Amino acid sequence: MPQRPTARPRPVRRALLLLAFLAPPAAAQGVGDGVLLPARTLAAAVEYDLERWDEYWEGTLLRRNENIGTLTTRRARLWTGYGLTDRVTLVASLPYVRTDASDGVLRGMSGFQDLNVAVKLRVLQAGLGGRATLRGLVVAGAGAPTTDYTPDFLPMSIGLGSRTAQARGTLRVEGRNGWFADGSAGHTWRSTVHLDRPAYYTDGQLVLSDEVAMPDVFDYVVSAGWRGRGLAVPVSLVGQRTLGGGDIRRQDMPFVSNRMDFTRVAARVAYALPVFSALSVSGGAARTVAGRNVGRATTLTGGVAYARRF
Amino acid sequence: MRAASERARRWVGLAALALLSCDRHVEPTEVLPPLQAPSVDAAAGAWRMFVLDAPDQVAVAAPAAATSDAFRAEVAAVKAAQAAMTDAQRANVAHWSGGGVLRWNQVMRELVARYNLPPVPRPDGSYPVPDAENPFADPQFPFANPPYAARAYAYVSVAQYEALKAAWHWKFRYGRPSPAKVDAGVTTLVPPGDLPAYPSEDAVLAGVTAEVLKLLFPGSVEEITRHAATQREAALLSGRATASDVTAGLALGRSVAALVIARARADGMGTAGGTPALWQGMASAAVARGEVAWVSQESPARPPMLPNFGNTRAWTFTAAELAATSPGPPPSTSSERMREDLAEVKRVAAHLTREQQAIAMKWNDGAGTYTPPGHWNDIAAEHVRDARLSEVRAARVFALLNMAMHDAAVGCWSVKFQYYNPRPSQLDPTIKTMIGLPNFPAYPSGHSTFSAAAAAVLGHFFPASATELAAMADEAGISRLYGAIHYRSDVEGGKLHGRRIGDHVVTLARADGGG
Repeated sequence: MPQRPTARPRPVRRALLLLAFLAPPAAAQGVGDGVLLPARTLAAAVEYDLERWDEYWEGTLLRRNENIGTLTTRRARLWTGYGLTDRVTLVASLPYVRTDASDGVLRGMSGFQDLNVAVKLRVLQAGLGGRATLRGLVVAGAGAPTTDYTPDFLPMSIGLGSRTAQARGTLRVEGRNGWFADGSAGHTWRSTVHLDRPAYYTDGQLVLSDEVAMPDVFDYVVSAGWRGRGLAVPVSLVGQRTLGGGDIRRQDMPFVSNRMDFTRVAARVAYALPVFSALSVSGGAARTVAGRNVGRATTLTGGVAYARRF
Repeated sequence: MRAASERARRWVGLAALALLSCDRHVEPTEVLPPLQAPSVDAAAGAWRMFVLDAPDQVAVAAPAAATSDAFRAEVAAVKAAQAAMTDAQRANVAHWSGGGVLRWNQVMRELVARYNLPPVPRPDGSYPVPDAENPFADPQFPFANPPYAARAYAYVSVAQYEALKAAWHWKFRYGRPSPAKVDAGVTTLVPPGDLPAYPSEDAVLAGVTAEVLKLLFPGSVEEITRHAATQREAALLSGRATASDVTAGLALGRSVAALVIARARADGMGTAGGTPALWQGMASAAVARGEVAWVSQESPARPPMLPNFGNTRAWTFTAAELAATSPGPPPSTSSERMREDLAEVKRVAAHLTREQQAIAMKWNDGAGTYTPPGHWNDIAAEHVRDARLSEVRAARVFALLNMAMHDAAVGCWSVKFQYYNPRPSQLDPTIKTMIGLPNFPAYPSGHSTFSAAAAAVLGHFFPASATELAAMADEAGISRLYGAIHYRSDVEGGKLHGRRIGDHVVTLARADGGG
């Protein structure tokens, strides 16, 4: 049976909620966890990612490329969440992305990337023997590029240029002593993208069109952690599997519809300032441990978040 | 709360609708309507030959008469095959009905894109050379870079053109009608037309194209053979050829291919890769002239792309005639003009608009693509399709276009390696490129040369589009400045050179009997 909704958040509890919210698994943009904001609470955060790789998977072959050297991607992300009710939270994020290669002659790119929005809806809340709470969420999301960047210059391109729709389900268990665990899986549908050229070769075929069909994407996030005393510490395993698409051919450039798969581990710490608990800071790191047609990336993340109830 | 979830549901519904309302499938190939040429071009057997001495150089024996029992049995076999046709066979007939020359041109562009990948360096920093005798190795053979591709498109197009002119000669000599013309019981799955059926033009194309393509892309023999087999099958099932039409056509096509292949084996391509001594000598000569010599900016440094390709045999020029089309030297690397050119590249790159970026991307045609000559074949294919040209006239357009682009490649490479001029990013390492940096000297721009030559030839065949084609060629040229890999003087030199070569081929076209 659903429990009575949790008590009105006291400041510390609100800070903890915010912390959980601010410490989402890497690259899940606040949709891959089971955290909801209390009603009429607005959270806003600025995050900065520094991502680097000097090896990438050309298909399944892990290699270096002296004409790229180290590829660095910097992302400054603005994101916000709002608790419409205790059961419904809206989230939105928009990153500004900049890429640079340390070697070779290819030019880096920069610009605002995709706006992603999602609604997280609690559909289940149950006590587990008084020691823990189980929560179930369904999430619907959508994304679209905010600028006319080209996705046809990978790995320098700042994004893939596709409009997306996402559906996912999430389960979260929260223990009374501060432990929590999330499991979330999603499916993303992607629109075709248009290139600036009239033909391209991918997946063993010449396509005489400027339009590229984008395979769907499945992703999962499993995380666990602890929170209390102004801290939240989740560790996560994040996976993406593209449901189709071709491999990068030997010595070819990556292509927008490639089968981009990865498995990534991530850890994060968020800390609510003791004097002003509405404000919190966080930092984290992630490492791609397996992949296909993606870089073997290491990511460092830092952020500041603020929340208040209206 | 209810209102909120209601709102959420509506929002999700809207998002899903927005996505599903757009088609997520992409048609990979050009849809070609069934070819119904207004003219059969009955005189094509007398048009000028380029490799063959005469249209009857390859003999085709007289067929059985249309009234003979043998022919009636063949027609009955066509009817029986049509009665047992599967959906896949029907789709295959529809596919080839768009025109064999156009379909093979697509196949060729696909093969070029598949093989247009540079070899991967060895761990010691050296580069292996693709080996025609071992096409499946790493690196695969060939590396279908722009000069290789220009030559490949030309050989296939010329071979098709020669074979079809010969076929037209025999078709109108013997005048045997197609099965659909003599027996109302034969279903016509393609527009029947008045072209005599013996030898089958489809089988001629299948035979000649497959043989030449197998030489150029030995790693894809199986796929090439399959295409050829489906084209021959379509000829029969469509009701326009009998078994003897196909057999005679295949034999004629293969014989013409053998003559063209003999030329290919002796055209100098085998030594186009040059030697380290050759390109070091080129660099030293540039330095001796007081110039900055080009160096590879790839890491590890890669040998220049086919430095001796400029000595490959041209189609429409002697070596001396081709040398006379040269645009002359580039501005000295120490000149004021070069300083201005370099400053312009830097300025354009720093203020590149999205539209300029799109132009650079549109004409990039770099590694992994069908190359600039392939891009112009793509453009030509649209015009050929819209003009509803007979197979032999379509082959003429592609043959003259691709001879011009091959000769443009030979001429351009000759000038590039004569001057050995550095790229902008070599003279100013702060210049970063919007597209892949080609691994050979800058002057003159290959894109500009190819494109000016192609636009001249296509503009001759499709005069209503001449202005538009010339504008496209200019755009292709300037795209290299936008991409920050060429100076304006490279673009202008290439355009001048390409124009001279294209105009020369147009002069030939005016006098080849094809109108």
